[in-house]
Amino acid sequence: MGLSSIGTANEEGVQLCIFDLRRGQREGQELDKILYFFPADLPLSSQLSVIGLSEGLITFTRIFSPDAACEVIEAERHSHVFYEAEPDIWMVMIVAKSKEAEAIWRIDALREVLKEIHSLFVMFHGCIRTLLDKEPGGGLTRAHLYPFVMDYLRDFLFGKKLQLPSFRDCLKERRTVQMLTVGREAAIEVQTLVRILESSAGNMPCFSLILFQDLLVSTTLSPEDTINMFTYAVLRLTPLALFSGAKSWSYLRKGNSSSHVSTGSTLFSTGSVLEQFYGSRDASPAGDNRYHVTRPLQHDKWFKGKDGFLVTDIWGGDIGSLNVTTPTVWLQQTEERMYLCAYQYKSLTLILLIPLSSILNGDQGVSIVKQQLLENASLKILKVEEKLSKGWGGENAYHVSGYRYLLVNGNRDISRASPPAKVTTLAKESLLALNKLREEVDAEKNRAKWDNPGREKDLEVCIRVKNNAWAIACITGGKELYMVLEKANETLLYASDAVEKFSNRYCNGAFSLD
Amino acid sequence: MAGKASSSQTSVGGLGSGAVSHVFIHYPPLRCNIPGSRGFYYDDGNKLLISPTSDQVFSWKTVPFSPNAAPNIDSITEGPICSIRFSLDEKLIAVQRSNTSIDFLHRETGEVFTHRCKSESESILGFFWTDCPSCDIVVVKISGLDLFAYDHASKSLALVETKKMNVSWYVYTHESRLVLLASGMQCKSFHGFQLSSAGIIRLPKFEMVMAKPEANSKPVLASEDVYIVTVYGRIYCLQVDRVAMVLHSYRFYRDAIIQQGSLPIYSSKVAVSVVDNVLLVHQVDAKVVILYDIFSDSRAPISAPLPVLLRGFSRSDSFTSRPSTKESESLQASDSNDNESIVYGDGWTFLAISASSSEIPSVLEFLQRRKLEANKAKQLCLAIMQTMILECRPITMVAKAMDVLVTSYAHSLKTGTYFKGIKTERTPSSVSNVSGSGQVIDVNTGRTDGLGKSLQRESAPRVNSVSASDTEDSSSLEPSKISSNDTQFDGGKVDIGAESCTTGNPLNASVSDQQESQLTSPAISPDEMYKFVFAPIEEEMIGEPSYLVAIILELFRSANLEKVKVHPNLFVLTIQLLARSEQYAELGLFVINKIIEPSKEVALQLLESGRQNFQIRKLGSDMMRQLSLHQDYVLLLVQDGYYLEALRYARKHKVTTIRPSLFLEAAFTSNDSQHLAAVLRFFSDFIPGFRSTSDFFTYYHILNEMNSSSVVA
Repeated sequence: MGLSSIGTANEEGVQLCIFDLRRGQREGQELDKILYFFPADLPLSSQLSVIGLSEGLITFTRIFSPDAACEVIEAERHSHVFYEAEPDIWMVMIVAKSKEAEAIWRIDALREVLKEIHSLFVMFHGCIRTLLDKEPGGGLTRAHLYPFVMDYLRDFLFGKKLQLPSFRDCLKERRTVQMLTVGREAAIEVQTLVRILESSAGNMPCFSLILFQDLLVSTTLSPEDTINMFTYAVLRLTPLALFSGAKSWSYLRKGNSSSHVSTGSTLFSTGSVLEQFYGSRDASPAGDNRYHVTRPLQHDKWFKGKDGFLVTDIWGGDIGSLNVTTPTVWLQQTEERMYLCAYQYKSLTLILLIPLSSILNGDQGVSIVKQQLLENASLKILKVEEKLSKGWGGENAYHVSGYRYLLVNGNRDISRASPPAKVTTLAKESLLALNKLREEVDAEKNRAKWDNPGREKDLEVCIRVKNNAWAIACITGGKELYMVLEKANETLLYASDAVEKFSNRYCNGAFSLD
Repeated sequence: MAGKASSSQTSVGGLGSGAVSHVFIHYPPLRCNIPGSRGFYYDDGNKLLISPTSDQVFSWKTVPFSPNAAPNIDSITEGPICSIRFSLDEKLIAVQRSNTSIDFLHRETGEVFTHRCKSESESILGFFWTDCPSCDIVVVKISGLDLFAYDHASKSLALVETKKMNVSWYVYTHESRLVLLASGMQCKSFHGFQLSSAGIIRLPKFEMVMAKPEANSKPVLASEDVYIVTVYGRIYCLQVDRVAMVLHSYRFYRDAIIQQGSLPIYSSKVAVSVVDNVLLVHQVDAKVVILYDIFSDSRAPISAPLPVLLRGFSRSDSFTSRPSTKESESLQASDSNDNESIVYGDGWTFLAISASSSEIPSVLEFLQRRKLEANKAKQLCLAIMQTMILECRPITMVAKAMDVLVTSYAHSLKTGTYFKGIKTERTPSSVSNVSGSGQVIDVNTGRTDGLGKSLQRESAPRVNSVSASDTEDSSSLEPSKISSNDTQFDGGKVDIGAESCTTGNPLNASVSDQQESQLTSPAISPDEMYKFVFAPIEEEMIGEPSYLVAIILELFRSANLEKVKVHPNLFVLTIQLLARSEQYAELGLFVINKIIEPSKEVALQLLESGRQNFQIRKLGSDMMRQLSLHQDYVLLLVQDGYYLEALRYARKHKVTTIRPSLFLEAAFTSNDSQHLAAVLRFFSDFIPGFRSTSDFFTYYHILNEMNSSSVVA
């Protein structure tokens, strides 16, 4: 069986599967392995052959590298991206390659998508393994995974096509947080607000996250939880996410939500039969209804209430009567379930996370906390919003003229990049060159990670592109800087000067080494 | 005005420690035995206590008050004495003999000349000396004011100016330089003049409010019912309305007199005095004193009424020429014996009172305005602050308290009073000049709505109104005669300030507590805040790291607002606290957003606290680099095993102080012969003579061994 046979049903599309290597090891029970498959309407036999191939490759590569089996398989027309989300639970994404369709990928960027799906899933539903242990039949897990991933993928839907991050997104970094730069005075105000917010819950240990527009202002969560909560907030909670139709400039929401309604249905609704299959594979006549599944990524489900708090009926209840169940999330840091309270004032979104265990009377207790929050923090919120708005330079605030850049601080999982509108002015050739360069850097980084774990590698590459642009990558002390300089002088000295200048001006000289 | 002396000022240690004392009587009292004394007079211009006999004048300096001081004795001619005042240079003694004549005695020569009214119909109500440039003495008559200059050569008075008006009676205090002249049927119409070294200002005529007991009766205002008081450099007039049983207050501006509201009174007999800018209303019949701080918006007393003990006492006027300006000295004379008097100097202290109040931020505000016992007020503020934190009071309350202290410090810094006591270099005070002249335009343009404007000012937020007392403090730094006195500009309103505690003018020094302590301001600097508030409680607050961080944050906020630097150790403490409670996310934000300001100490603490957290350590090393602490940074890189990067960095920033063996050792431990070779090569190339050092030979040898062993393997 060749790789080419896989794509027949979905020639140019994307396949994404999640499977468990510990399941379906006996002949005739292979279907047990499948926890999720996209597109769902692919015949089960084809699904099995995709998973079978992946499993085979994993088993084979584990012989040489038991701790880290294969990461990617590059076939002639497809790339297979592997990600071991949890021990023996794998996610595999298969994308077709095609120059004409702009289907040129950076593998690490695709893997970040898989990571994101998994991390978000865990934040809402807990580990996949835990779900599987809870109900060994797998029905519960499938019933959760299917709508979740579908809702997630909808964000990548343009027309009838899924548009995954391609070379055009090479100046973006998924799984990082974008931060608002604030002055000392505003920062102090924000931090005092954080204290007030967290004191609203009395003596309970709680956490908070503050966003301005789609940028993070403050967090008290661990880095990993911050990324997840930030991602969810930007996807569904910030003002720009809330008012669908509003144009977003964050890469996290590239889809145009109106398209979901019209054309999105064709791709996803064809699976309705199979949806039933996924939901009811255990031959339960009740189908979907057997499980109470919340769909936190569902679109257009969050609203801003009159009191400024964001409400949703995703977790149950009736939005009309405002008698809704408070959303909950699971934090990795504390390994605890938390109530999620989101409050919005103008561009400011505040998220307060309170442990379930510390509130005895559920939703009633939460509303007391909310009341407290309003009483204690309202004035401060007003003040902070005003301060931040005053200092806010608009969506092009972080544009540096002449440069198209991406700055990643790997130590803190923070990134900052040229605004997307500015990046689109770059020639395709420049982007392709940088994409290629990034692939090389990714490979180099991965190699260094294996050769010398725990050590950071410094690296600097400047490439002259055919269209006379410079594609530059600098890595030092865990920080990465990628940039494209078009219409630039041809000397290498010029290019490294440009980096030096940028570094001194915007990176505290982090990249000014020689 | 005697008070009960259950003296205990030792309440500094804690809040509400049950201190009840409000009066502290200086002991021993001044005892004097003057045969034939005709009573006591108080000369507020020179702060002299005067006791004349038929042919002699005994005088004591009351500031500084010393019970053992012997009186000065001057001989005068015999005759009746209506009032007696020394000239401001104390060379002359003026004695009013009748309502038509005043005798002048030259103290050195003993010469005497007499000034008489021109016509018999004129009657002298009184007189006072002035430091006004154009005249030396002002005589108040029923027909108006006569301003005279004293001619040293001819030893006589020369009439400078006459201001004609009907005068029923007058009040004057030297502190305010203000004379109020009552006229009219009810004596409630007033003319006012301020005669200061800046010149003569004529105030607009105004009427005082009097309630009518019945439809047809019209009460007459008496001079005993009007007091001029000076509080925080502002001049007020307090008027007793016996019918309504209220005390009306008026504030004087250069171009307006504005009623400020009323205080209730509980006694038909009321005396008013000011101690350390606190208004004391002595309700004589009720035998209590009620204290008000006019500065704050509230008209509520600052403490519960305090008891007054009166002993054989008629009325304070009998001892002092004007009762309303007793300053810090309240006097008591026992007139049971004509020949013997006991005078006590009372030092009022409000510290104990304020410690028992529950509104802590306003207490601190009150204490910060104290001038008399600045040091004690300061100690008390520090103690209150510390106690608040230890007791984990609500953050908002502590924040307010913080604001009070920081604002007060910033203010004292601006006006220079903070440094006055500390004797360091003074900050140039050109600021007040600039803002002053900038406001002049406002005065002119704003004159049309002057009244409304000044009313508005009164209700303005406190930060603004603080500037009102600015003038008092700032003047002390300015050398010019004009600004050291009475006319000051204040927020678009020309304000008649009172005589201020000018250090350059000993005659006028109104409130001086130099014998008490060197401090003139209870303001607390950030260093003191750290040393006396945070450092001592650090240990005790270990259990509440996030509370303490919240408090420190509030301090940062206030300090930032007032552009005051905080103590660098507070940054280090903040890092320790956040790291201890593993709040690394916050700590990161604190550093990135420079809430914690970068410094070497901070960087080192980040490295230390970063042992448990890689991200924090990274912030520390980044800070090292950004602060250009090149040598430390290179050492850090070598320590962490980044010796090649360290070499690169050392070369770029010309760090030559680190021994090559450190790098070689690091390369050797990494067990990479290529790297070791590279490091050797580096030093051979860049350090002249390196090839002949023992380091070179040692590591060259090691390198050869490494290479040969790898070949064998």
